[in-house]
Amino acid sequence: MSELTRRDVLKLGGAAATAGLGFPAVLRAQQKEVVMLGLWPFTGAFSDVGPVLDRGMKMALDERGMKVQGKSVKYITRDSETKAGSATRRAEEAVDSDGAKYIIGPWSSGVALAVSEVAKRKKVFHYFSGGTEDISGARCHRYSFQWAASPYTAAKTVVDTFMQANPKAKRWHLLVADYAFGWSVEKYVKEVGKGHGIEFVGADRHPLGEREFSNYVTKAAANKPDVVVMINFGLDAVTGAREIFNFGLTPKVPLILTWSSGVEELVQLNPEIRENMWVGSNFYYTADTPVAKEFVKNYQAKFGGPPGYAPAAAYGMTRMMLHAMDKAKSTEVPDVIKACEGLEVDDLVGRMRVDAKTHQTLRPYFFMRCKKKDAMKNPMDFADIVATGSTPLPAEYAACKDIGSL
Amino acid sequence: MSTALLFSQILNGLATGMLYALMGIGLSIITGVLNIPNFAHGALFALGAYLLYTVIQLVGNFWLALVLAPLGVGLLGVLIEYGGIRPLYKAGHDYQLLLTFGLSLIITEGIIIVWSPVGMSQLPPPLLRGGVNLGITFYPKYRLFVMLAAALLVLGAWLFLEKTRYGAIMRAGIEDKEMVSLLGIDIHRLFTAAFALGCVLAGIAGALTAPIRGLNPWMGVDMLGIAFVVVALAGLGNLLGSIVAGLLVGVAQSLVALVWPEASVAVIFAVMAAVLLVRPQGLFGIR
Repeated sequence: MSELTRRDVLKLGGAAATAGLGFPAVLRAQQKEVVMLGLWPFTGAFSDVGPVLDRGMKMALDERGMKVQGKSVKYITRDSETKAGSATRRAEEAVDSDGAKYIIGPWSSGVALAVSEVAKRKKVFHYFSGGTEDISGARCHRYSFQWAASPYTAAKTVVDTFMQANPKAKRWHLLVADYAFGWSVEKYVKEVGKGHGIEFVGADRHPLGEREFSNYVTKAAANKPDVVVMINFGLDAVTGAREIFNFGLTPKVPLILTWSSGVEELVQLNPEIRENMWVGSNFYYTADTPVAKEFVKNYQAKFGGPPGYAPAAAYGMTRMMLHAMDKAKSTEVPDVIKACEGLEVDDLVGRMRVDAKTHQTLRPYFFMRCKKKDAMKNPMDFADIVATGSTPLPAEYAACKDIGSL
Repeated sequence: MSTALLFSQILNGLATGMLYALMGIGLSIITGVLNIPNFAHGALFALGAYLLYTVIQLVGNFWLALVLAPLGVGLLGVLIEYGGIRPLYKAGHDYQLLLTFGLSLIITEGIIIVWSPVGMSQLPPPLLRGGVNLGITFYPKYRLFVMLAAALLVLGAWLFLEKTRYGAIMRAGIEDKEMVSLLGIDIHRLFTAAFALGCVLAGIAGALTAPIRGLNPWMGVDMLGIAFVVVALAGLGNLLGSIVAGLLVGVAQSLVALVWPEASVAVIFAVMAAVLLVRPQGLFGIR
């Protein structure tokens, strides 16, 4: 029996070590397929939204036959739980173990900011849609992109349009979700409001996941406002709107949902509660664009109801990422990032352009007015789009001074 | 701060506190008599709300729904105790605990399957919509109704437990099950009745809450936590303690929201920690 030479031992050891570290699997994955992670909240505060976000991303990938630039797409999902710790841990695992190079999600601004740091550290592409301005602002970097309109664009659209229709309604009471998204939007609602001479007679912040709104509504009523403005989202917005109705404020006093998911929230409220409600959103299913019409038609055929902001955002972000890959003619992250910077397409909500300096997607924001019960043509005919606005964040407010290098 | 605002906040606190008390009393009875922490209590609360919604959809009568929904939850309680908990009495505490935890998941998933994961709203009956001028402030009629209804139910539960023979047996069961059994009382029937009564109270709380907070499959999660806080504050099996604890939590939450809204949820657990530090057995508890 021949003895092992030193060279044989080194060869075997090297092979074993490589196998043990799992490199071949990831390398194979990199060559044959593009691994994309949908980081969605399947449990926790936004657990009702996770499955519809998943639908949106799948639909965009299915349209391409799960292929991009000649490579197969492997779509994987992880539960963000709407917890920064869980979301970052799972994103890192997906990158390290499954070879994920593209992350879309999660759904909460606070959690997304933590995931954005993972994208930067692991050098993977990250697209997010939400209300924080920090992803394309103070904490901008080359690996993360923001799909939702800037909070400034949203505030400008909502405040300007509402004041045009109600020029005398100058006493505003705000009810704000106490986290990154709420603070960003509140700042610009107040900023834009100054130009209209709006007096903010109250501004209460409530914790994420608040279920007892009577205490806030009592305070709002005591301020005798002309308008109640909520800057919150999901179940918080639904519970708040219901309580504002129960206390008899709406429909006498208009209620503005500044940054709503649209359909997902409106469907949970009775027409009586929705009366005199004005709603800002990054998407509404009657958006008059060819891509939106096709998407809405397919979504309704598949799931039986119109899509809200959540599936539309997941669909829209995935499409933007695929557009960038097409433009780059590559699926390598640095190429796709460079292609996405300055990308300009007519897509889901109209003309969309990614600002290369901030990674903010410049796009229209929708403002709707809910219909009275007798004006609804069907149970899902919630509102009319009364305005779309796309005023970008003025340069003096831009907090992303240097987006850095790859 | 105006007097009217303070008055309104106290009313809010009393209305929600009464609901917390109803949840707490139900949980306290179950935990006290059966000696198991019922983790399905929140899910049963949600089921009460969904049954109310369905009965209203079917027969269009809020008042009938308000009676039938809790009875439906109570009936399910009988089945759970008889078919699930009873076979596990000898298996021990941990198994019963796991069973109720599993049941909470099954009921929540059942709600999703039957009614969908998307939340819904239920308006109060037309008679109770809108507000009423109380002189010092304008207040929703439905919340006043909830306060009154919950107070009457709490009084009814107290009269039942304190003034009836079966109530006395139930209280004795909380104190010393073996002794009750030795006196020739059917302890299993007592357990079934206690579990069903606790479920009925959770169902009523859920049904009354539906027009205020709406419906979603996870609506019981917050309430379960609060119910445990009420039981911990009150002391096990203590009815009067549950009422005081429920009102204390509700009013504390409401008043904190007035001055420091961000802390209104945390204050519930802060109140519990503070009371337990001073009186580990709860406000009125003896064990």
